[in-house]
Amino acid sequence: MATRLQFENNCEVGVFSKLTNAYCLVAIGGSENFYSAFESELADVIPIVKTSIGGTRIIGRLCAGNKNGLLVPHTTTDQELQHLRNSLPDQVVVQRIDERLSALGNCIACNDYVALAHTDLDKETEEIIADVLGVEVFRQTIAGNILVGSYCALSNKGGMVHPHTSVEDLEELSTLLQVPLVAGTVNRGSEVIAAGMTVNDWTSFCGSDTTATELSVIDSIFKLREAQPSSIVDEMRKSLIDTYV
Amino acid sequence: MTIVSTCCPFGLSNVTKCINFVQIKEAKTMVKYNFKKITVVPNGKQFVDIVLSRTQRQTPTVVHKGDRICKLRSFYMRKVKFTESNFNEKLSAIIDEFPRLKEIQPFYEDLLHVLYNKDHYKLALGQVNTAKNKISKIAMDYVKLLKHGDSLYRCKCLKVAALGRMCTVMKGIGPSLAYLEQVRQHIARLPSIDPNTRTLLICGCPNVGKSSFMNKVTRADVAVQPYAFTTKSLFLGHTDYKCLRYQVIDTPGLLDREIEDRNIIELCSITALAHIRAAVLFFLDISGSCGYTIAQQASLFHNIKSVFKNKPLVIVCNKTDLMPMENLSEEDRKLIEEMKDEAMKTEMGASEEAVILEMSTLTEEGVMSRLLDQRVAAKMKSKKIGDHLNRFHVAMPKSRDDQERLPCIPQVAGEKEKRKTEKDLEDENGGAGVYSASLKKNYILAKEEWKDDIIPEICDCHNVADFVDSDILNRLEELTSEESLRKAEEEEVGFEIEGEELTEKEKNDLAAIRKKKALLIEESRLKKSNAQNRAAVPRKFDKDKKFTRKRMGRELSSLGLDPSSALNRARSKSRGRKRERYDDLSNDAMDVDVNDDEQHKKKKMCLRSKSRSLSRSRSVSRPPHEVVPGEGFKDSSQKIKAIKIGHKSHRKRDKAARRGEADRVIPSLKPKHLFSGKRGNGKNQRR
Repeated sequence: MATRLQFENNCEVGVFSKLTNAYCLVAIGGSENFYSAFESELADVIPIVKTSIGGTRIIGRLCAGNKNGLLVPHTTTDQELQHLRNSLPDQVVVQRIDERLSALGNCIACNDYVALAHTDLDKETEEIIADVLGVEVFRQTIAGNILVGSYCALSNKGGMVHPHTSVEDLEELSTLLQVPLVAGTVNRGSEVIAAGMTVNDWTSFCGSDTTATELSVIDSIFKLREAQPSSIVDEMRKSLIDTYV
Repeated sequence: MTIVSTCCPFGLSNVTKCINFVQIKEAKTMVKYNFKKITVVPNGKQFVDIVLSRTQRQTPTVVHKGDRICKLRSFYMRKVKFTESNFNEKLSAIIDEFPRLKEIQPFYEDLLHVLYNKDHYKLALGQVNTAKNKISKIAMDYVKLLKHGDSLYRCKCLKVAALGRMCTVMKGIGPSLAYLEQVRQHIARLPSIDPNTRTLLICGCPNVGKSSFMNKVTRADVAVQPYAFTTKSLFLGHTDYKCLRYQVIDTPGLLDREIEDRNIIELCSITALAHIRAAVLFFLDISGSCGYTIAQQASLFHNIKSVFKNKPLVIVCNKTDLMPMENLSEEDRKLIEEMKDEAMKTEMGASEEAVILEMSTLTEEGVMSRLLDQRVAAKMKSKKIGDHLNRFHVAMPKSRDDQERLPCIPQVAGEKEKRKTEKDLEDENGGAGVYSASLKKNYILAKEEWKDDIIPEICDCHNVADFVDSDILNRLEELTSEESLRKAEEEEVGFEIEGEELTEKEKNDLAAIRKKKALLIEESRLKKSNAQNRAAVPRKFDKDKKFTRKRMGRELSSLGLDPSSALNRARSKSRGRKRERYDDLSNDAMDVDVNDDEQHKKKKMCLRSKSRSLSRSRSVSRPPHEVVPGEGFKDSSQKIKAIKIGHKSHRKRDKAARRGEADRVIPSLKPKHLFSGKRGNGKNQRR
């Protein structure tokens, strides 16, 4: 079930957190409200790590990871790297990447099996992604945007992409990723999907501006709370038409 | 964006045209009216006080009758103009802030007409505008007169007359201002009805249970009483259905009479029914406890049915707990059937079950579905649907390989117990800003006590992380085993070494090596200590006299070469004195085999020559102008010149014996005892 929350009055919760099937990273805030929202949903299941990357709090946009590994940019300090290695399980490989495009969360969108990458990433970085995360890497754009990590939210059950993605692009991406895809929005019409939400296979977190219609689409496409992607076409079609048109 | 409508005169005959016009002209994003922001309208007297006080405070107030006439004129003209501009500003604000009936949405236009009477409203605003124009004209006239004023008194009289006439005009529109203030207060209390969003509209006879339904469905709190006309105006509530927000409008009850005979309360309902594209719930009290029979309610339904066209219409039979449907009389049942037939005509294709509802328990599923269906059908016909078709499409993947990609959901063991979160700890320990959580609390390490270890960041000016080796235990084992092997080998080697001794030849070689090393070290130290004092010169000058002919011969012999020819060439290049000396020696060597007498004679000459050389070297020193290699002079004349310059530079110093440049002396140029005698008659001040 999707949970709505905000980080210090900011609804872009995907910027300040990174959620995978094996761990969860949360930014260090002035209070424990944001951390406790994740803790009440995920504690006793996966470790929740409070961390910073390169001295910043926008950890969701700087690192990319799945259940097999975590990639951090070259700006990460040695102490932060050690903190991450101490906090994550042993099977999660923490690797620092010397890549020019250091906002890895904006350049890489991945689940546990497939990853979409920025078209300008280095060849070495692509190989590191394939090795550390254990995924197939495809260089793709989403609705003409090269920041695939920002306009795409993926899990092993479904995915949501930029609202201006055409039907042909949706079909192509769905075949590449092998998950059902839908074009949607978060945070009351925001098209930056990954900044407004974070998702894994059994739960999701959205900004508090997300409307009820958007929450229903998220529940359906990611199969949270026994919802199915087909209900977007069947049951919610009228609601979506009345909202969007 | 506003919609211009031509439905000025309100009447039932124009309702259909009005609705069609609205549908054609509807815009997706309608500007929401905010009538709560209209500024307070002061009455006539307050208006005068406000403006005149401002004139008094913001314009000069001191003038003298002796001033120049042009100054007197401009003083009073300024007052008149300032007052006029203030009146103009405030009256224009009133005219601009109140909504223009021709430019706003038809629903609000008709609602304002019903509530405030369009004619009165326009007359009031028109009078405000007329007053504004009158005041401008008064100001212009009196400014012209003031330009011809000839004294302080006359100018002042003109100013007073001008302001007085302006105030008279303002008092004249006092009633209009009072009316507009009443309108403003009431219009601010109107609910914020959006005529274009999803709407349910509840109508019917008085006292049939409309407001009860409203309170049940939404969170509005409309007053409910068991008599008619408890609800006297429109009420607005909101509810959610299928993730969409619906607004629900409760209306005052309607009586069965002609449109001309209806009062303001009823006209509010008619206006809402006419202009809002809503699903209509016509409430029917089948028990008759509202005070009206079913026949009367059916008559009302037929009276106003024209406003139901193109709207989803549902007849709600309310209060079925008091009178079940089975107990109705045949005549009443027939009336309801007629209403049902009429309701089905307003929307083609509506099924019979969707037209009529029985209700004492609340059910609202069918109503909103029908409204949503109608809106969706209308939007599917528009051109904008094409831009959003991708939003209603879910792309299902086609298989491209045989690899399975299963989700990864961990099993949660049983019920999730209530866990104390970090926020609870924060509240217990002083709240945000005081509580600081430990980041190491949740470390996953092999040993628990490792969590609190302090790992230094920098050690001996080196970054510790640069030397971290995750494979360090394996390397330690390798080093340990290697050390063991090495120790075992050393024991064997040590046993062999103990019995070995140096041979005599090796000892001599060792001594020679050490001696040479000591010489080299001494030479290096000497060179180093003298480095500051000695200039670096090319090797050809042979400062240390190291490169002798003997050394060259020795080195050539060690290389296995014959040094004879090289030595001869070197000898031919040396100086004359040395050549003489060595020629004698060579002659001696060559003539060894000559006769004994001659040999004996030459021996004596050689001895004499040697003794002469020795005595010469002892008694005669080198001439000072002789150039010695390594001094830096190219020839003897240059050296002589340099010696002269050197002598000249310290000639003065030599005369002064031990004095140098640092021994500066300032003598007493005028010692007193040499220049003074006994005091005479003159003054005592010599200086």
